Amino acid sequence: MAENKNNSAEKAKASSILEIRSLQKAFGGHVVLKDISLSVERGNVISIIGPSGSGKSTLLRCASFLETADGGDILYDGKYAMHDGVYASKAELNRCRTRFGLVFQNFNLFPHYSVLRNVSEPPIIHGVDKETARERAMELLKKMGLDGKENAYPFQLSGGQQQRVAIARALALNPEVLYFDEPTSALDPELTGEVLKVIKQLAEDKMTMVVVTHEMPFARAVSNHVIFMDGGVIVEEGHPEAVFGNPTQERTRQFLRNYQR
Amino acid sequence: MSLMTMIIKMSEGLSKTCAIFFLTLLFSLPLGMIVALLRMSKIKIVSAVTRFIITILRGTPLMLQLLAVTYGPYYLFGANVARNKLIPVVIAFSINYAAYFAEIYRGGIESIPVGQYEAAEVLGYTKFQTFMRIILPQVIKRIMPSVTNEVVTLVKDTSMAFTVSYQEMFTIGKQIANSQTSFMPFLVAGAFYYIFNVIVDWVMGRIEKRLDYYR
Ligand SMILES: Nc1ncnc2c1ncn2[C@@H]1O[C@H](COP(=O)(O)OP(=O)(O)OP(=O)(O)O)[C@@H](O)[C@H]1O
Ligand SMILES: [Mg+2]
Repeated sequence: MAENKNNSAEKAKASSILEIRSLQKAFGGHVVLKDISLSVERGNVISIIGPSGSGKSTLLRCASFLETADGGDILYDGKYAMHDGVYASKAELNRCRTRFGLVFQNFNLFPHYSVLRNVSEPPIIHGVDKETARERAMELLKKMGLDGKENAYPFQLSGGQQQRVAIARALALNPEVLYFDEPTSALDPELTGEVLKVIKQLAEDKMTMVVVTHEMPFARAVSNHVIFMDGGVIVEEGHPEAVFGNPTQERTRQFLRNYQR
Repeated sequence: MSLMTMIIKMSEGLSKTCAIFFLTLLFSLPLGMIVALLRMSKIKIVSAVTRFIITILRGTPLMLQLLAVTYGPYYLFGANVARNKLIPVVIAFSINYAAYFAEIYRGGIESIPVGQYEAAEVLGYTKFQTFMRIILPQVIKRIMPSVTNEVVTLVKDTSMAFTVSYQEMFTIGKQIANSQTSFMPFLVAGAFYYIFNVIVDWVMGRIEKRLDYYR
């Protein structure tokens, strides 16, 4: 806390839950993120769209520390998690980890745990008492339309249900921002609706979210900022009506054309 | 010698057969996990040395390893051969089986999708919590069939203790066969091992069933 007070740059952006500056990431010699900067304000929903291989997942994985970035800054709530390519202490990174949740494309539920335990164990290992964690998990499952499923095991659920459990699991830790990496891509088309509905509901509840998605109508309807990525850079960004309705870049137009029927 | 006396004499050795069996499992199952973790170590030299030791243990006869552990100290340092041969026998069996279990564990651990680790990491599980709570339970379920195989083999392998004249059931049977010039003791021994393994199969089947609640 004290050290940050001296840093005006950090203070100015303190209202952003996440801020990324000039993020760079390469795999071997292959540069995947070239110079990515973005800032996520509380209560906002940001959609990231772009062709396959453009670096969307890598960006989210860098933001959630699953991937080690090569350069740039990552700040959570104005505090450096990475400063000019150098990561903060383990303790600081753990503090940052409590601020975000991540929902994976393929859910990654724990198959040997019941639905209830999937959602309640993470808070318990963070020191929440069992009964409180259980009650909160039940409440979240209900909110996700999963009441009655608490004793089921993941393999007994549909993909859509599993993904909603995964969302409940992420929410159980009360993150300040929730990341989604193509949350509906692994689902049968008839199941995407139920998951998108839940995310939409979260947006209405003013949950801060960053959603990588190929569901353009959803991105347009739900987000208040859209980022179009291609080749490791942000090609165009802005209000969804602007990006979708009147894109300024040829690459954006080309990409969006492929999604029109 | 009547068949009955034969059976009674040989069953006196059964407790020693069981001692080898249970003590070997007791030591080799956890030791195998340590070996597996060393084998998967990120430190190259550690994993290379462990791998080399595993290939030796799996690539040479258990009989040779029994002889080496039992009589090696005598030939190397002139130390007395252990009075109670159970000790060197269990040491040799435990080390040998640990090598096999280690490879089974390693296969199991490597078969767990990386997404399980990533989910746990993002949820704030420590490395230790991730292994104990998320990975290990899934590994155990996946490796049960291979472990059952090894345990069944172990039952039969206990007979190998005759090479160092440890008085377990098979060694006694062999001695009776020699003195009586009879094949009967071997049939009795076969029956004992078969019954032993029927029980092992049943127990392992129960454990596998209990882990059947998820996929
Ligand atoms: N672990 C890795 N090792 C090597 N290359 C990788 C790795 N992860 C991603 N890449 C490469 O980085 C590039 C960007 O991948 P990324 O997964 O971020 O794309 P994406 O925008 O999420 O694509 P998609 O829409 O298909 O999910 C790709 O060329 C990919 O092959
Ligand atoms: Mg992706």
